[in-house]
Amino acid sequence: MLEIRNLKAEIEGKKILNGINLTVNSGEVHAIMGPNGAGKSTLSSVLAGRADYAVTEGEIMFEGKNLLEMSPEDRAREGVFLAFQYPVEIPGVSTTNFLKTAINETRKYKGLEPMEATDFLKYMREKMELMEMDKSLTSRSLNEGFSGGEKKRNEVFQMAMLEPKLAIMDETDSGLDIDALRLVSNGVNKLRNKDRSFVVITHYQRLLDYIVPDFVHVLYKGRIVKSGDASLAKELEVKGYDWIKAEVEAAQ
Amino acid sequence: MSTIETLKKDFEHYRAQADNSAFTQQRESAFVELQKLGIPTIKHEEWKYTNLKFINELHFQSSCLHTEAAKNYYTQNIVQTLKANRLVFINGSFEATLTQIEPEDAAIVITNLAAARIAHADMFSKHFGKYAIIEGQALNAMNHALMSDGAFIYVPEGKQTVYPIIITNISDASEVNVLNQPRNLIVVEKNAAATVIESFFALGNHASFCNIVNELYVGENASLEHYKLQRLQGEHYQNNYTQVFQEGNTHINQVTLTLDGKFVRNNLHFYMNGENCNTLLYGLYLLDGNQFVDNHTRVEHAKPNCFSDEKYKGILKDKSTAVFNGKIMVHLDAQKTNAYQRNQNILLSDEATVNTKPQLEIFADDVKCTHGATVGQLDEEPMFYMRSRGIPENVARKLLLNAFADDIAEKIKIPELVAILEEQIEKKI
Repeated sequence: MLEIRNLKAEIEGKKILNGINLTVNSGEVHAIMGPNGAGKSTLSSVLAGRADYAVTEGEIMFEGKNLLEMSPEDRAREGVFLAFQYPVEIPGVSTTNFLKTAINETRKYKGLEPMEATDFLKYMREKMELMEMDKSLTSRSLNEGFSGGEKKRNEVFQMAMLEPKLAIMDETDSGLDIDALRLVSNGVNKLRNKDRSFVVITHYQRLLDYIVPDFVHVLYKGRIVKSGDASLAKELEVKGYDWIKAEVEAAQ
Repeated sequence: MSTIETLKKDFEHYRAQADNSAFTQQRESAFVELQKLGIPTIKHEEWKYTNLKFINELHFQSSCLHTEAAKNYYTQNIVQTLKANRLVFINGSFEATLTQIEPEDAAIVITNLAAARIAHADMFSKHFGKYAIIEGQALNAMNHALMSDGAFIYVPEGKQTVYPIIITNISDASEVNVLNQPRNLIVVEKNAAATVIESFFALGNHASFCNIVNELYVGENASLEHYKLQRLQGEHYQNNYTQVFQEGNTHINQVTLTLDGKFVRNNLHFYMNGENCNTLLYGLYLLDGNQFVDNHTRVEHAKPNCFSDEKYKGILKDKSTAVFNGKIMVHLDAQKTNAYQRNQNILLSDEATVNTKPQLEIFADDVKCTHGATVGQLDEEPMFYMRSRGIPENVARKLLLNAFADDIAEKIKIPELVAILEEQIEKKI
């Protein structure tokens, strides 16, 4: 589904990603871990198409298409979803209106008729029940005045509505207490299936107690320096990142 | 002939036929004031960013003549679905045939000013010319000396309008450059309530200049919904002066929508002459091309325990320019004043300009006042957030600008007006 080959990227002349290789197949959950400054958020930004980053080398193929040549909206319409680390507050635009626009723009892109208003509301109600969302959140302005937990749950709710093929979760656990973390993870787990893949970016292992990954990769200095299964995350929890840094320095 | 020479001639003509009443004398002294002051230049602090040189350059004629096209234009452009009382003035002259009065509002006096001066002489002389300031105000003096007709609304004590009153002023510049100077007087007595919409159109390929003065008196415990809708496509200029005089316990909701205008200067003044007043004033301007809009507001808290909330928002495209100057004055007496003021602007082009100046003058010591102004572009983060959900850039921009404008739209209590606004936003953005 996703094929990242020798990806190098920089921001304002500063090299952040130094040759990333990653293959994600349908239905797989990949966790990307790493110390601060390793390039985790840069990777998610480049995948979603944030303009601040310049890709200097390499390629990203998504279902056989060159992702780097697409605008952010086209990536989304092709099925890439980024759950933001800091979801943006948009006063005056309700979650309902926002999602209706997003879904209908995607349908338009695929040559489909817009969803009827009643069908949309029914669809939204179903997803809200599935995600155990409070009704009031959808009529309020998008993320405005939401708590940290509400914002992250709204991201997962949006994911449920848009049904992406690939979901990139950028530090979804940051700023969440244990109850909110459980709610958000439950939501994500309900969306796991054999056709949908996840790239879960996190600094801490605790999120991976709830969203159990198939693969764990350690990102350091803009490269994946170690890969393993879920047990690698446990090992990092106990030993921290220093042993990996030491391994990398020794190898150079 | 320059506009000023024309005005002199017009005044001489008027003076030759006028009686010697107090009304005439007032107009005469207004003309003296105009001659003394001349048209303000940009050296004048109040007109620093607003150049009136067009008044002389464009050789306006104060003619009431207008074409049949103006009437047709009106019929095509009024909101038919809105049931309302209507008064129509074309180039300042009253179009009696276009008047509509709903029977449910028979208790309200809705007529033209010239008729009211005779038919309602007591009310007229009690209020007329009592609120608009002439001294030092050249354009007010010009209106006072050479005013054309206008609306007279009188809501008697305890009465309320069932349907809104729409006063439409049309400038018809089909044949020559025209100057018109309408004059409105609106009196809402004690315990009464009214909804008034002032609507402005212009047509014709020549230039027009509408120099209007509005005086509004709102009596004890009365309330007023007041809307201004400015749609002046083409070479049309407007100076719009409104003075609202409020007694105690009054509630006013005022919304100014400037959706078009080559040149619009609004001077909106509130004077709270009693306690527990509630004054809400909101504005939205949508500009493109080389349009110019200047909103000067002045909110005067003269007595204690009053509340005022002001918010003006602007969206500017192309080479358009906006000026905002908001003054809140809190008199020594006006303790426990709560006054808020914000001006927010979004520039959609590198060549658009905003000059904003919020001002507070506070002489009381126990007050809560805040003010602030912002000028910026659409934020990148919300744009990217929306795009990352599949919403294309132009749709995302529209959603964000609509949200920005909605803040003002929600202050409008007449859905038909909101619809006009939404249509204009759709068209302009």
